[in-house]
Amino acid sequence: MAANVPTGATEPIINGTINLPETTNGAMSGVAVNGTSSTTVPGLSADEIALYDRQIRLWGAQAQERIRSANILLVSLRALGTEIAKNLTLAGISSLTIIDDDLVTEEDLGAQYFLREEDIGKPRAAAAIPRIQELNPRVNVVSGGRLSDLIVRDQTFYAPFDCVIACDHDSMTLSVINTAARFANRPFYAAGMHGFYGYIFADLVGHEFVIEREKSNIVTPIAFETLTRSVLSVTTKKENNGKNTEIVKKQEIYCPLILANTSPLPPDVLGSRRKLKSVPALLPCLRALFDFQRTYGRLPGHTSQDLVVFTTLATNKARELQLPSETLRSDFLRSFIQNIGAEIVPTAAFVGGRLSEDVINVLGKREQPIQNFALFDGDSFEGRIYSLYSAPPEIAMATAGLDGTMPMEGMIGMPNGMLMTNGVGNGLIGSNTPAGVSNGNAADAGMVFRPTSAPADGTGVVNLD
Amino acid sequence: MQRRDRGIAQSLGLPLTKRVKESRVLLVGAGGIGCEVLKNLVCSGFGSLPQYYGGEIASEISDMRRPEIVVVDMDTIDLSNLNRQFLFRKQHIKKYKALVAKETASQFNPSVNIDAQSGNIFDDKYDVAFFEGFDLVFNALDNLAARRHVNKMCLAADVPLIESGTTGFNGQVQAIKKGVTECYDCNPKPAQKSFPICTIRSTPSQPIHCIVWAKSYLFPELFGTSEEDSADVTVTEVDNVEEVAKLRIEAEALKTIRGLMGKSEFAQAVFDKVFRDDIERLRGMEEMWLSRRKPEVLCFEQFAPSMDKSEDVVERGRALAMKDQAIWSLAENLAVFSSAVDALSNRTLASPGTPLEFDKDDKDTLDFVASAANLRSHVFGIPLNSEWEIKQMAGNIIPAIATSNALTASLSVLEAFKIMRGASFEQKGVSKLTISHVAPTHNYMVTNGKEGFMLGGSKMVFLNSRSTERMITTQNLVPPQPDCAVCSPVYAKLRIPSNSSATLQDLVTLLQEKLGYEDFSIQADVGIIYDPDLEDNLEKGMIPAGYIKAGNGFLTVVDEGDEGRVDLVLSTSFTPNTTEADPESGLQLMPEEISLPSKHKSVAESNGQAMTTTEATGDASKVAAHFNAKRKRDAEEEVVGAKKRAKADEEVMVVEDDGAILLDD
Ligand SMILES: [Zn+2]
Repeated sequence: MAANVPTGATEPIINGTINLPETTNGAMSGVAVNGTSSTTVPGLSADEIALYDRQIRLWGAQAQERIRSANILLVSLRALGTEIAKNLTLAGISSLTIIDDDLVTEEDLGAQYFLREEDIGKPRAAAAIPRIQELNPRVNVVSGGRLSDLIVRDQTFYAPFDCVIACDHDSMTLSVINTAARFANRPFYAAGMHGFYGYIFADLVGHEFVIEREKSNIVTPIAFETLTRSVLSVTTKKENNGKNTEIVKKQEIYCPLILANTSPLPPDVLGSRRKLKSVPALLPCLRALFDFQRTYGRLPGHTSQDLVVFTTLATNKARELQLPSETLRSDFLRSFIQNIGAEIVPTAAFVGGRLSEDVINVLGKREQPIQNFALFDGDSFEGRIYSLYSAPPEIAMATAGLDGTMPMEGMIGMPNGMLMTNGVGNGLIGSNTPAGVSNGNAADAGMVFRPTSAPADGTGVVNLD
Repeated sequence: MQRRDRGIAQSLGLPLTKRVKESRVLLVGAGGIGCEVLKNLVCSGFGSLPQYYGGEIASEISDMRRPEIVVVDMDTIDLSNLNRQFLFRKQHIKKYKALVAKETASQFNPSVNIDAQSGNIFDDKYDVAFFEGFDLVFNALDNLAARRHVNKMCLAADVPLIESGTTGFNGQVQAIKKGVTECYDCNPKPAQKSFPICTIRSTPSQPIHCIVWAKSYLFPELFGTSEEDSADVTVTEVDNVEEVAKLRIEAEALKTIRGLMGKSEFAQAVFDKVFRDDIERLRGMEEMWLSRRKPEVLCFEQFAPSMDKSEDVVERGRALAMKDQAIWSLAENLAVFSSAVDALSNRTLASPGTPLEFDKDDKDTLDFVASAANLRSHVFGIPLNSEWEIKQMAGNIIPAIATSNALTASLSVLEAFKIMRGASFEQKGVSKLTISHVAPTHNYMVTNGKEGFMLGGSKMVFLNSRSTERMITTQNLVPPQPDCAVCSPVYAKLRIPSNSSATLQDLVTLLQEKLGYEDFSIQADVGIIYDPDLEDNLEKGMIPAGYIKAGNGFLTVVDEGDEGRVDLVLSTSFTPNTTEADPESGLQLMPEEISLPSKHKSVAESNGQAMTTTEATGDASKVAAHFNAKRKRDAEEEVVGAKKRAKADEEVMVVEDDGAILLDD
């Protein structure tokens, strides 16, 4: 794994660019095919080609082979998980491991359509798995046990998975899973929904992908496109119809949820009054909801006390994000609160569908993934994506140690997760043990990954083999 | 209210939830988008008779207003559907989609009522009256003709339509309502791709040219009916008239070879005719090859050393045809060609009266087209392709994935909520602001006279998978194009008893007397049947002449007078109850009052709002690419504009629990 990752701490940084070696396998290749090179996967059978015909025609046989060898972990099987399980199983992954041992209630039956009345009282994943399995017998759909067991597991549990997806949970549970997945150098997605509203968060650590597009007259420079995205290489191929296709290999780097949740909006948004005005109120509301849950251990109810608290939180979050005061309108706030905790299938289908599309593309190493926070509003038909990125401290510190520049500049293009590959015991997550979270003691967890807080070992230098 | 309805009731509010449950909706298509739409509808409670209604009220509802979801699809399930049409399993292959979709989706919600019909939406039984029975229609179709048909039926029935389509990662949804929004046909659709006949027959330069040649020329000449010209090929201005004439003679010569069908030398005769003799003739036209590579002559005998007897070639071709991923060599293509000719000849001889048609899923026909196209590609120095690739080009296969269908279908149903919320306001005549449940964030747009706020805030929505900033882009719905031939007319009904002897003259008289027509023309499915200079048909009976038939026929009345009132489209049907009919002719116009505004006025009224958009729902990818830039701008301006209009509401108010917030059962 590490061999394919440009080892950032030792790569020279020239003119603000990192010299990224051309590797036959991208940084994530070991992940995507679970430790085996994609070339060792035998070709697709005629049956598989016939079954997956219409999608192979979109993303090609190679991507389908990568999808076929992928093992996915899905935490929570409510309305969103139902959609994600359906889409990934149809796509033909290798295995889907589902963790949801909550007992099925009658309310669940409305939007979780793999459940039936006779399932009430049974553990959710166990009840739904046989019906998910029916969608595609080629996929191994299994239960991953209990959530309480998951959150005390370390990265060795996550290592066999090519992608980890967690839905519906509060920010602390999501962060525990995110952290462990990051230690295992595995891409992580989170999602949540409240009636018409939903979000997707992505921490793909570092991800290389290919975009094919018709070649234009404008040369695509090998350079950074944003704070997090860089072009690694460009090749051209001639098509049958005489047109030229440009194959652009790019890389995105990510930060964990706990950092994204306190990250400012990207500079291009902060610098444009027009863009800032169009940031939906959903963003501060979701952050406020995370905070509310962290403090009270539950969703806000409809008591006026809760509403006051939530409104104050949301107002503060909007201010923190530097949003104009008119963004957080009372009619939106009212609608959002009304929707909290509700599951409706169309929203689940959109959010879960878009997340699945991203996962499939990540597995196939194709197309631009979400960077890193997508907001869906099914009432006003808005679906914005913002890069809420702060450099993880190890990257910031390592970079600062290398060239002496401020982390904000030096971190650009910094390769992912190299710290995480052997990261146990470097002290960075010492205060964020799963046990600490599971008993609700999370008061300072939000600080753990703040760029401003020094790593526990005080050096900022990451141990690499 | 059941506990399972809690989520939907909480989000939609009780009034809309009730409306959704009472609704009667039509879903046309149970394929990729259709399965997903059906799931959303069933799980959201559409057409599920509410429990609190009780038995007595339910019994008063007529069949045509019964809360239910009607699904119409004529297709059967194929293996290649199963990667995305998640209501179907392997054991359902070859069964009707509509029926299996109902069977699977019914389990998602026991109180839903689904009526599954394995019929063709063009069938006569799906007439205007049928469409009138719905609150809302969802299109989940895969072809232009059916989309246009349902569009017209919904205009005639004045029922809102939610149109949707996907291509690869792209998708779009559009809400359509007669007189309120653009219709599907307001903007011209891209014409089918067509090639000049000389490119196909004499100077191909791309694989697609050779595929079209094999599929639309050679195949029908040998195994089909050759009289009709394929839409793939047209004689254009660039075509050389002399050459076109020669090609006709060439085709005639091929027909005589058909006489050898069934004999062992048939494949060789065809091969030598099209790859040797015809090519030799082409090579002789020196001026054609001044700037092109001369084609290479192929001869069946060339391959003789590599094969023993024709039986073996056929066997070999059959085995090779299984390897559709590989690019066959020249000799392999010849073997597949021989085996395909053998198989197709046997089928033709077995049932001489029935010409064969190319079908991408009919392996023999695909083998023939793939091998013949590749052989021709070789002749012209064009790269060969695998059969799998040729299948896509020959069969116009559009890549389709589960997620795009799920995303698009979810937007369709979210649009439905908007439309139904809007409709309930219209019906109750209350201001949108007085409704307390889930205040839509765009409420103020109404009070501020926001343009484009139609159908409860419904939008034109596009998936935007490649953007780093947006998952979707939207555009406000725009008013109908005033000159749209499909939605600008007034739609009305013309009924006639099935045994009526009414003539065209009776109709002309009726139109003159009832609607004051003077100079006008009438167009039926067969063409213009009446105008001021065409009186030949006046004595013909409406039914015997086929001007009126059962089902979904239309007559268009065009005012040719100076004032020029808008066109009148009459949907024709047989009167269910003859006693109501006009005693003279039995012809009956409905409704009683038909108001026909002048064309001029209608144009003037709409001009202010008309926008210059030319998108086509049928081809999502091109359209999405083309309009993304514009939409992005529009969408941003829309947000800015909306915010400008909004009254400053700077203080964040605590939301009081005023009963709007649900819900504990
Ligand atoms: Zn129109």
